[in-house]
Formats: sequence, C-alpha cells, structure tokens
Amino acid sequence: MWLIIIFCLLIGLAIGFQMPVLLPLIYAKYMSIAILAAIDSVFGGIRGYMEDGFDTTIFVSGFIVNALLAAGLAYIGDKLGVELYLAAVIVFGVRIFQNLAIIRRYLVKKY
Amino acid sequence: MQSKSAKVSIAIVSLILGIMLAVQFKTTASNNSAQLPTRVEDVAQELNSVTQERDALAEEVISLREKLGNVRKNDEAMADLQDELQKTSMAAGTMAVEGPGIILTVNDIPRKIQAGEDPNDSIVHDSDLFTLVNDLKASGAEAISINDQRITAMSEIRCASTLILINTRRVGPPFVIKATGNPDMLESGVNISGGWLSFMKQWGYQINLQKSEKVLIPAYKGPIRFEYSVPVEKGEKAE
Repeated sequence: MWLIIIFCLLIGLAIGFQMPVLLPLIYAKYMSIAILAAIDSVFGGIRGYMEDGFDTTIFVSGFIVNALLAAGLAYIGDKLGVELYLAAVIVFGVRIFQNLAIIRRYLVKKY
Repeated sequence: MQSKSAKVSIAIVSLILGIMLAVQFKTTASNNSAQLPTRVEDVAQELNSVTQERDALAEEVISLREKLGNVRKNDEAMADLQDELQKTSMAAGTMAVEGPGIILTVNDIPRKIQAGEDPNDSIVHDSDLFTLVNDLKASGAEAISINDQRITAMSEIRCASTLILINTRRVGPPFVIKATGNPDMLESGVNISGGWLSFMKQWGYQINLQKSEKVLIPAYKGPIRFEYSVPVEKGEKAE
C-alpha cells in the first residue's frame, strides 16, 4: 500500500519534470490550491483505507471535484476581490493535519 | 477487505498528484529564476542601476559626438559645413555655449505654511519656470538652461509631483536659470513691471538676478531621435 503510493508519486514527479509544460504565472496560484485539495484527498483516501471505509467512487470523485472546486473558488474570489483562496488553504490545511493525525494513531496502534 | 480497485485508484491519484506537484515546482522555480522584483527596495535598486546606466550612455553620446566632430574637422573641404553645423548645434543645444548673460535664481517662499494655507502656493511650479523661460526668449536669450539642463526646442518643463522634469531629468529647487544674450536686455525683459517675475517677487519667492560677463550653458546631454518626422525635400511644398 505505502509502496504503491510512494512509487506512483515518484513516477508522477518524474513525468511532470520531463513534461515540457509550464503554467502561466497567473494560473500558478490556482494550481497550488488544486494541489492542496489533491493532497487532502490522498490523505483522506489513506485514512479511509485504514479505517476500512474506503470507497473508490467517493475517493476519485472527491479528488477531482475538490481540486476543481478549490481552484474555481479561488478564481471567483479573485474576480470578486475577496481572497477566497485563503479559505481553501485553511480548510484543506486543517483537514490534512487531521487526517495525518488519524493515520498516525492507526499506525501507532498497529505497530 | 481492500479491493483491487481501491489500490488502482490510489495509485492513479498519486500519479496525478505527482505530476501536478512537479509542474508546480517547475513553475515556481522558473518564476524565481526570472527574478521579478517584487519588493520596493529591489525596484529602487533597479532604478538606481538603470539611472547609472543612462548616465553612462549619456557620457557615451557626448564622447561619440566629439569623435564625430573630430572626424569632420579633419576634412578641410567641410569647413563651411562645419560652420553651419556649429551654428545649428548651438541652436539645437547639442553644444555648450558661453557668453554674457544673466543668472536668475528662483526658490520657494521661505516662510512657514500657516494652518489652512495651501502649500502649493509657496513652491515654484513648472508654469513659473516656463513663463520665465518664455520671457527670456522674448528678450533675446540665445541659450537657456535650468539647473544645467539645456532648454532645447524639444525640452519639456513638466510638473512631476514634488520635482520638475526637464529633458526627462528630475530638477528641484533652487532653480538656477542661466541665459546668454544681452545682459541688460535680458534683465529688463524679465524684470518688466507686470511681468511674471514681478508677481513672483510680490508673492514672496526668493529671487536673485545677476548679470554676468561669462555665463556657461551646458549642452543637451540626451539623445536626439526623430521617429516620425522626415525632412521635406526642396521641391516639395510644406503644407
């Protein structure tokens, strides 16, 4: 399980660095928020996996929809003049830490 | 318990996350390497270096003009042209000149600003300067400079918040206006009653007018470019 995640992450990083794609400056901010959402989804997935409550549909849809929603909200915020991306950063940040804490507890219990 | 699809989906999602991360890393790294000056100090520093560069280039312009002059001097047949060129250069302001004239120093009103008083009323404005320059021209000034900025046919005298731009250089008070010409004519020309200088004196501006037997007026230091205008051929009629 862990091996799969790390291995796939590394492969993804390698592909990404080889790809000749560079984001325009203005989209970098939205991309960073989408990444936060994605990280949150991955940790949520791991947590669900450990709790035996893992649902593939929820996981994949959450990953895609959360990333798009976060980026979209940040974009709308920019258009409105409200720094909505801060809300996304806080929410996802908090959730990432919560998920990490739960994963840690499971690991501690397990070993 | 864990289906195969769970592992596959986690694998795919991790893969996508990795790609996103890598692209983001690359983007931020390239932004850093582009060194966008975001802080005020950085911008100020850049301004300084650009200003230095500009001054260096201005010096280069002067030395190149000298070289050009030397080349022309060598040619005997061009003596007449040389004469004409010199006259035109003096008129255009690309050559430093000296001769009798006046030195007019203008400074802000020294008294302290009272409550409710507009500070704008006590400083020298761009309009004051160009009115004085105009008076000098009308009294036969041959060459004029303000704080060593030669007034050429294309020079601007323009307000730029607390300073004044002349030849795109920032100039601040006290303003030393030098003009060559008949000193008596120039003096009476600007001192004429009802003229702008008399008003400025009444309002309390610090004004000092000196006649001098030798006034040195520097050359215009910037480049001269014509991007839109071309000379009219002799046969054509200017409309």
